[in-house]
Amino acid sequence: MMDDLDDLFAGASRALVPPSDALMARVMADAAALQVRPVVAVVPRAGWLAGLAALFGGAGSLVGVGSAAVAGLFFGFVQPEGMGAVAEMWAGSAVDQVDLMPQLDVLLAEE
Amino acid sequence: MPRDTLADLADEALVVLYAHGDPDAARLLAGRLLPRVLGYAGRMLADRIEAEDVAQEAMLRLWKVAPEWRQGEAKVSTWIYRVVANLCTDRLRARRRRRAEALDDVAEPADGAASVVAGMIEADRMAALDLALAALPERQREAVVLRHIEGFSNPEIAEILQIGVEAVESLTARGKRALAALLSGQRAALGYEDGGV
Repeated sequence: MMDDLDDLFAGASRALVPPSDALMARVMADAAALQVRPVVAVVPRAGWLAGLAALFGGAGSLVGVGSAAVAGLFFGFVQPEGMGAVAEMWAGSAVDQVDLMPQLDVLLAEE
Repeated sequence: MPRDTLADLADEALVVLYAHGDPDAARLLAGRLLPRVLGYAGRMLADRIEAEDVAQEAMLRLWKVAPEWRQGEAKVSTWIYRVVANLCTDRLRARRRRRAEALDDVAEPADGAASVVAGMIEADRMAALDLALAALPERQREAVVLRHIEGFSNPEIAEILQIGVEAVESLTARGKRALAALLSGQRAALGYEDGGV
């Protein structure tokens, strides 16, 4: 009978009981409920403004350059009186024309 | 990690991956372990519904313990069989308590089951084996099933049942002798009468 028993055991170990779909679903639901979700770091996409700031060496530099540009436009359009006085003091006469390249006068003079 | 690669991993590595959030690790573990623990619980309890509850509870405990699992300290299969063995023991005790409350005189399991086995002329071999197993004392049944059906070694069974290896050897030997005695009158029903085995 012992040999018969070994034969029965072998048959039993081969005959696995398949779990029902409902049981498998319950087990998987438990697994999902208890599983810790992996933490995914979200890196925000850089916009065009951030790219421009990076080009000028950062947001601080971009603000400085922008302020200087606005100030230049302001003085160009408004031409405050004080600015003319300062220029006159520096040039020694009224400034209404500035020769930026006086050395070219020789070349341009007609003989 | 790709599913094909996961399939090659040991249970212990899958538990660690599950704890780290791998979505496929749980499905692979359940696919490997659930049929085995369900079969074991079914043989211990002889009740499909109760066996399913025990199998689900054992898997639930595995999911819970996964974050603290350390590879190399224990085998997942040994651990989960120990859980199932304890859960089955609790249920069998509760069953005995209920039966004791319902009946003044409780029949010895072996006596009742022996007559069941004797009445199983038309039953197939597996059903006859399960009935005979159900007739064994609980500890013997656990040891015999783990050794001869689930295929664990004696040291592994000792770990699962939390007893010594010598006690395992004794339980399996006595259990096997008792099974042979229970089934000896059923050789014809089991298809062995012509002396083929």
